[in-house]
Amino acid sequence: MDEDQSAEEVTDTKIIIAVESTIGNSSYQHSKINQWMSGIVESSLSQLTKLGKPFKYIVTCIILQKNGAGLHTASSCFWDNSTDGSCTVRWENKTIYCIVSVFGLAI
Amino acid sequence: FFGSDLEKFITSLNTYRMGPEPGCHFNASRTQQILQATLDRYLEGVCYSPDSCSQLCQMLADLVLSKLKDVNPPRYKLVCQVVVGQSGKQGISVASRSLMNPNTDNYTSAVFQNHSLFAVALVHGMYFE
Repeated sequence: MDEDQSAEEVTDTKIIIAVESTIGNSSYQHSKINQWMSGIVESSLSQLTKLGKPFKYIVTCIILQKNGAGLHTASSCFWDNSTDGSCTVRWENKTIYCIVSVFGLAI
Repeated sequence: FFGSDLEKFITSLNTYRMGPEPGCHFNASRTQQILQATLDRYLEGVCYSPDSCSQLCQMLADLVLSKLKDVNPPRYKLVCQVVVGQSGKQGISVASRSLMNPNTDNYTSAVFQNHSLFAVALVHGMYFE
């Protein structure tokens, strides 16, 4: 269990680093969205593959402009609880909300 | 090779199966139809409200999963994600990328929008080797 928890923290940290290096202090710009999305998702996935574990990964990224509107996200999974897991990271700056979810499924 | 060894042997007997049977792959188009129909049916005429929408979101995710379990081919794991948000004048972008085997694994998505809310549902099907 300890190993699982520290692996989750490590994943969290890596994703936050990936998001900050891509968006950092930028304000929301519609023209740059595609670039940011690809950047975040690609760097998260490459960080995960560097861990070298026998997992298949799904990385989902949601970028939302801060405008006062509400957002909810939920996920349900049909898998093996003992070997598979997920983690979600929420990041924000003055104009952007960014939610990254990572699902890892054991092969 | 008796007693507990025999039990271990029986529980982990090899099926010698390398991939899903032909015709038993994750059916992306059928899943997409089920997703779209579920979203349309359950969100028609619903107004966004911050209190009820979090439960609505979770309920939709569980509902979609239970519908897909019926049509899910054997040895496939499912991951379903639902995003529900208020239709304001903001920009939103949802993206996903996965590390999977393109021969056996796939994903689908469906979008619903009305005057007060929008919903995006994402389902990935992964073959369990």
